[in-house]
Amino acid sequence: MSRLGPLLASGLLVLALGVKGAAAQEPTVTRHALSNGIVLLVRENPAIDVVAVSLQVRAGSHFETPLTAGITNFLQRVLLRGTIKRTFVQLAEASEDIGGGLDGGGEVESAELRGQALGRHWETLLAMIAEVALEPALPPQEIERERRLLLGQLKSRADSPFSFSLDSLSQDLYGPHPYGRYHLGLKENLERLTREDLLAHYRAIYRPEQMVLSVSGKIERERVVKAAERLFGRLARSGRTAVEEPPASAATGQRRVVERPAQQAQIMVGYLGPGLLDPLYPVARVLGAALGGGMAGRLFVELRDRRGLAYSTGVLPLPFRVGPTFFVAYLGTAPESLAAAEAGVVQELERVRSSPITADELARAKAYVLGQLSMERRTNGRQARDLAFFEIVGAGWDFPERYARAIEAVTVADLAKAAERLLTRPTIIVLQPSRR
Amino acid sequence: MSPARGVWPVLFVIFLLSACGVTRSAPPTEVARAPIRHVLSNGARVIVQDFRSSDTAAVQLWVRAGGRDEAASELGLAHYLEHMLFKGTTTRPKGFVDRDVEGLGGRMNAGTSLDFTFYHAVLPSQRVLATIEMLADIGVNSILDETELELEKKVVLEEMRLSEDTPGRHLSRQLWGVVFDRHPYGRPVLGTADIIQKLTRDTLLAFYRRHYVPESFALVVVGPVNAAEVLRTAERTLGRLPRSGLERLPGSTVGSLVPKRLEVQRPEALAYLGVGWLGPKLDHADTPAVDLLVSILGQSRSSRLPQSLRERLALVNSVSSDYAALEAGGIVTVTAQLEPANLARTEAEILAEIQRIRENGVTEAELRRAVTRAEAEHAFSSETAEGRARRLGQAETVWRLSEELAYLDRLRSVTADQVRLAARRYLDPERYGRLAFVPQAR
Repeated sequence: MSRLGPLLASGLLVLALGVKGAAAQEPTVTRHALSNGIVLLVRENPAIDVVAVSLQVRAGSHFETPLTAGITNFLQRVLLRGTIKRTFVQLAEASEDIGGGLDGGGEVESAELRGQALGRHWETLLAMIAEVALEPALPPQEIERERRLLLGQLKSRADSPFSFSLDSLSQDLYGPHPYGRYHLGLKENLERLTREDLLAHYRAIYRPEQMVLSVSGKIERERVVKAAERLFGRLARSGRTAVEEPPASAATGQRRVVERPAQQAQIMVGYLGPGLLDPLYPVARVLGAALGGGMAGRLFVELRDRRGLAYSTGVLPLPFRVGPTFFVAYLGTAPESLAAAEAGVVQELERVRSSPITADELARAKAYVLGQLSMERRTNGRQARDLAFFEIVGAGWDFPERYARAIEAVTVADLAKAAERLLTRPTIIVLQPSRR
Repeated sequence: MSPARGVWPVLFVIFLLSACGVTRSAPPTEVARAPIRHVLSNGARVIVQDFRSSDTAAVQLWVRAGGRDEAASELGLAHYLEHMLFKGTTTRPKGFVDRDVEGLGGRMNAGTSLDFTFYHAVLPSQRVLATIEMLADIGVNSILDETELELEKKVVLEEMRLSEDTPGRHLSRQLWGVVFDRHPYGRPVLGTADIIQKLTRDTLLAFYRRHYVPESFALVVVGPVNAAEVLRTAERTLGRLPRSGLERLPGSTVGSLVPKRLEVQRPEALAYLGVGWLGPKLDHADTPAVDLLVSILGQSRSSRLPQSLRERLALVNSVSSDYAALEAGGIVTVTAQLEPANLARTEAEILAEIQRIRENGVTEAELRRAVTRAEAEHAFSSETAEGRARRLGQAETVWRLSEELAYLDRLRSVTADQVRLAARRYLDPERYGRLAFVPQAR
């Protein structure tokens, strides 16, 4: 409820989330294997009376083809729409009765079902997630409802200039690689996929060998382990899903102008970057922060502060992806400033080679990234998601700790090398407002 | 809102201290202690809560100045000033946010609303005292440099364009204009391009001098901190400012709603619909009942409007209701994203659902669920220091801290009949403001 009046204008587009999280009593995480192979991660955190659960399956748009793109998210959404015991409304009411909610979807690297509740209801929540995951009904009427909503979401995404630009850039950066398609999928697939398709996909991906369950909050470890075994241990082993290697990414390295009605022009300059298991990944993240993280990134200082060319500009944080990530600088500006702004962004990205990131800039960028990392991870919801995510993609649940250490170790020489390797041959999307 | 009954029965008991003496009795094992409220001799207020779930602290400066304090000819001033406070003080050159906050792993931002403006930082707890000094400094010593002021105009005009390109949010803001009509709450907080282009340093400085005074300030600190130390630092900084004698004008009374229907052509492929009514102001006996009414109407998956319009009738992609209670008035809105062909029917069905509540009321299960939802929201927003600080600071600034701490109990005492009466009193299906964004003919 936003009873206490809204925030009508937020000052500077960088979102404030929190900071360094060396907790007074750092909650401990333990890893368990259920009898059927499902990995269970438990984080006891008595601080607040809440609990969060995440169940993730190794599936998602990374493993989809032009003919299936969108099927994982579609399936996940339909799973939440009814089990053999309860209808959609009953599930919604039951989850709200325990002070929480169920949600989920298929993203790029994993498919998730998640929920949160007041801590005292942890077992009810866990049982609901098990019911949704293991006793799905896929009711035909609910499939049609979800189909309509997903098609609406696709339209809505295209209505947002920023998302539209990012999706266009992804297509040009990745070409045939599945990362080139937004994980909501393709319209024609969402129109065509049948209940049988969804059921077959369910059977293909819901296998204990490729599932991770995580629980974080005010809970008792032993009781959670027992309950998880009872609730999730019944799913029979069936081996891993065979996956084909996706086609390689092929950035066009071109500049494409898209015209559409809008107030603001958008510029996005992208490069392919390292995957999260690549030693270059933390280096690229720090480089991104030095160029465009927060109020001291070069883009913000030069293009917003010195020249007033933008309200929002920066480098998007590298996404956590196993395959090639993207390194994307963005800027939104007035149509009449478009040429100057575009030249400015490209120039800043080029300049990093002739005038490399200094030791001071490096120290700031590291502090910025580390601050971001620990701030984001202070809620139980985020902790549960991260634990399951990094485990399921093969990085290990404790990846964030190792990642933080790798960030601390980055040197100016590393940055110079990374800039040399990454920031060549930009692929550019310019969204140019057309006359209304 | 305070946490669920029986969870931490004593943690939110409030201490109203008139002097510097700080009494605390909570045992050291607890994660959060009661917030301490302290009024400095010049009228500035300080709220501290010792909260030890992580090493992170939130430091916020709340100011009793916002869009409603602007004259009609100076719209956008409060927000513009908020931007300028990041541009340097007499002793702190521009770039201090980078050096003192981001460069040390923290974050800082600010927000402007109609009744208030606030500056918020989240950072490692050892930076708390330095951050209090910094916030006190920008609060009164910002230079509002002429060159920076001119440059920032382009930035704020960009912010307006960005806002216009975000249809859902833009609709909500415009709908406030329809419902509050000529009242200051109906004006754009960002101002207008015209006014911003002509803005001068003198106007800005006058607003700054008038409103950024000790009587307007509330400093809020939440985190693993020593309250006595925080209070000493507050005394030494904010406490040294001379009283200004400012008596802020109360928000002007909100008149009655003038029903209005507006339609705007937009570039999007989807349509956006908003309907709105005036609601009770924050300090009103009906606030909890309206809060629950709006929650039951459309704030969760199982609530009425999503169930009927999104699920059963398949008319909309999304629909939700909202209630904002401000110092001088309130507003209840319902907004939806939909295919343009469904506009008329959607509006009719929203009103029909409201009519059903006016006639038949809500069920005990709906009421209980809405209270649980409020309890859970409270618990989840208590996970972070800034979530707590924001609640405390906002209540201190536009309401009373004690009211905030007792609010969940007030919600629990609301009856189903009070919710029905609230619907009858506030949501007249014949008199409301309506705004639609429709795709322009291509």
